[in-house]
Amino acid sequence: MQKTKGPAVVATFLVCFAFWVLLDFSFKAEELLAGAIVSLLVALFASRFFIHEDAGWFFKPAHFLALIKYWCFTFIGELVKANVSMARICFGGCTDIHPGIVKIPTEMKSDYGLAALANSITLTPGTITMEVTEEEGQNYLYVHWIDVKETDPEKAGEAIKGTLEKGLRGVWQ
Amino acid sequence: MLIRIIIDLLIVGGLVFAVAGTIGILKMPDPFSRMQAATCISTMGVLGVALGGILYTIFVMHNSAAAIKIVAIALMILATNPVGSHVIAKGAYSHGYRPKKKMDTDDLGRDFNE
Repeated sequence: MQKTKGPAVVATFLVCFAFWVLLDFSFKAEELLAGAIVSLLVALFASRFFIHEDAGWFFKPAHFLALIKYWCFTFIGELVKANVSMARICFGGCTDIHPGIVKIPTEMKSDYGLAALANSITLTPGTITMEVTEEEGQNYLYVHWIDVKETDPEKAGEAIKGTLEKGLRGVWQ
Repeated sequence: MLIRIIIDLLIVGGLVFAVAGTIGILKMPDPFSRMQAATCISTMGVLGVALGGILYTIFVMHNSAAAIKIVAIALMILATNPVGSHVIAKGAYSHGYRPKKKMDTDDLGRDFNE
């Protein structure tokens, strides 16, 4: 557990306040003031859980644009592909499956990068991340895969997360 | 008129994936595979219906505040759903649940249960 830091509080405050404006959607002075007070209180309490690395990191335009690009093109493309194959399995009577758990290595180093990659893998139908471990400086993901085509770790990793990881490497290291 | 057709197609497309996921939940042989099928509902099902709802609120209801709220709902579901799936799968596995039919490979069991 780390201590509360100034930049982390500011970043958490900005996120909370943006979310307040988004949900409230009125721009009267008293509403904005109430939102600011609540956001500041939440930021003081929660910033040390919310931010573990460089706080101003997300507000750099290059990173933000890379994240938007990842979301709108790379991830949605993979999502549609995986969904269509999953729907085909389901409408075909759910008999054509070969489930298994494979261990795949990943290049990701930072906490946020690992979390984003694991969540992206879980969100694509057909793969669920079950465990993240670190062995000798290399991070590994254990992935439940509904249709195991490769048991070799490198090839399975390429099939599961090849394009996802390439897209995310532009955002996190 | 054209926009209504697009909205209807988006919502029906989302529902097709939701039906596929439901069939998967009912017919898959073990809990892990069942969760894989359920992911279909919470991704393409939600995205299709939400996109249709966004277009409906903008072009038919002329209410962009509601559209932004639907965007927030879709983002929230996409952000929170994988955490739940991951914890349920990991909990079921570490509690000792295994599929009746043997899995093709089981690296997690190989590395942790010996």
